[in-house]
Amino acid sequence: MTKALFAIVAFFVVGLVGAAFAVTDEAPISGTVKAIDHSANILTLQTTAKGTTRDVTILLKPDSKIVKFARATEPGKTGFVEQPLTPSDLKPGWAVSVTTKHEVGKEVAEVVTVILEK
Amino acid sequence: MLASPFRFLAVAVFVLVVGLCATRPPAGRAYGDKDKHEEKGGHAHVPAPTQYADIHVPLSVWTDAAMIARGKEIYTTRCAVCHGDGGDGKGPAGLALPLKPPDFRDKDGVAEMRDNYWFWRVSEGGQVEPFKGKGSAMPPWEGQLSVEERWAVMAYQHTFSGHQGPHVPWEHPESVAMGRDIYAMACVMCHGVAGKGDGSVGPMLSPRRAPQPRDFTSAEFKFRSTPSGQLPTTADLFCTVTEGVRSSGGPMTIGLQGHRIMPSFRYMPEAQRLEVIEYVKSLNRGFWERREIKTVAVPAAPPVTPERLSRGKQLYADAECLACHGERGRGDGPSAPTLKDNRNLPIAATDLTKPERFKNGARPEDVYRTLMTGLAGTPMPSYADSLEPDQAWDLVFYVLSLSRGGRTSAAGTR
Repeated sequence: MTKALFAIVAFFVVGLVGAAFAVTDEAPISGTVKAIDHSANILTLQTTAKGTTRDVTILLKPDSKIVKFARATEPGKTGFVEQPLTPSDLKPGWAVSVTTKHEVGKEVAEVVTVILEK
Repeated sequence: MLASPFRFLAVAVFVLVVGLCATRPPAGRAYGDKDKHEEKGGHAHVPAPTQYADIHVPLSVWTDAAMIARGKEIYTTRCAVCHGDGGDGKGPAGLALPLKPPDFRDKDGVAEMRDNYWFWRVSEGGQVEPFKGKGSAMPPWEGQLSVEERWAVMAYQHTFSGHQGPHVPWEHPESVAMGRDIYAMACVMCHGVAGKGDGSVGPMLSPRRAPQPRDFTSAEFKFRSTPSGQLPTTADLFCTVTEGVRSSGGPMTIGLQGHRIMPSFRYMPEAQRLEVIEYVKSLNRGFWERREIKTVAVPAAPPVTPERLSRGKQLYADAECLACHGERGRGDGPSAPTLKDNRNLPIAATDLTKPERFKNGARPEDVYRTLMTGLAGTPMPSYADSLEPDQAWDLVFYVLSLSRGGRTSAAGTR
């Protein structure tokens, strides 16, 4: 009986921890583009969290989406439209926000949003 | 028997796990916890640093249609991508940020933002603490927008809140609420409820004599780095709050450390001192009406030489310092008994042989500044128009030589 109860509790704990990690993986990371290694498809971001500045390396996969927003130029439209970019468009110094997923010890970019081009 | 504690432990852990599941998960590995206000896209309640604290937006800007139109143009091209066309903080790029932009339609949140804080945020963005550490992606606009352009953007952003008048503390008392609370606890006894220097305890510190607590609603502030006739800077007020005011004072000052008629608040957290100063400033609209703030420059002190002291002694006589301070600087000059302050209260000439009691500090640069600014509301005039800097230094060193052994920089620093 006790063992079964422990098994249930362990199941919940593992589930909770797993869920927490799954959620945090989806939290966006904002920072400044420090470097882009086009051969390895690695984006290095300088980001600050909890008062500590650190470099975060993010893998850009072919299905990683890179976008910026610009004013619609079509007559009658005033909102923003999403413009797709390629990794080669990214420049050091740009401010970006990246949603990532965690894959085998690496941060893999899902969407890279350009906040400010400098 | 053995199973019971295990069962109890298992149930306790189960309840804990259920409780944890009921609460929200961590917001993000990189950014940690955020308080409720920031999740809404709000702002941190921190005072603007002193270099921004004196930058108050001219009252007319907030309601000037031309400025608002100019601000809209800038906002639309540079800010709306994150802050949203409607100021709701839901621009397409803003949605992707870990720290969401504020909702300018939140009239309570906007009302709590002081204008100098707002200007600081627009100028330096998220590149400074505490915002940098929270992962703010807000770019600094200082290098790309002029001061007027930043004011214009703020005026346009302000329109989203629905408030019609100028964005000032007397329209939004909540913006100085923390300072008001600190004032009520630490200052009101002497300076009074309305800041007129008429608190119940104040007069007892120096009965029927100067100095009396400052009237914050008047234009006269003794301790300043600004020229005669002007209001002090926030840094000046911070210095006074931090150091207190030295004086021989009356019988009630005996318990105040270091002969202070106003206690030092150096042990109050810096942010709280800045908050109370923002409240004090809100009592005097002059802080919002002044435009350019100039401070008295204090050049590097030259070396002290016998010749300089000799010239200083001559200046001491020529500038009629001895009329009040006396030939030997003991505050016993022929005019001393007749001196009165702007409230017509008798005021003692400072005993220059006791630098530890100099109200405005006793370092050479403090004495230089006092000579150049004067002490508003007292008979001590400004010599800015009558002394060249080198002459002022001559006088400074002579004054400091009047104390035993020329105790200078170690005593009475502000």
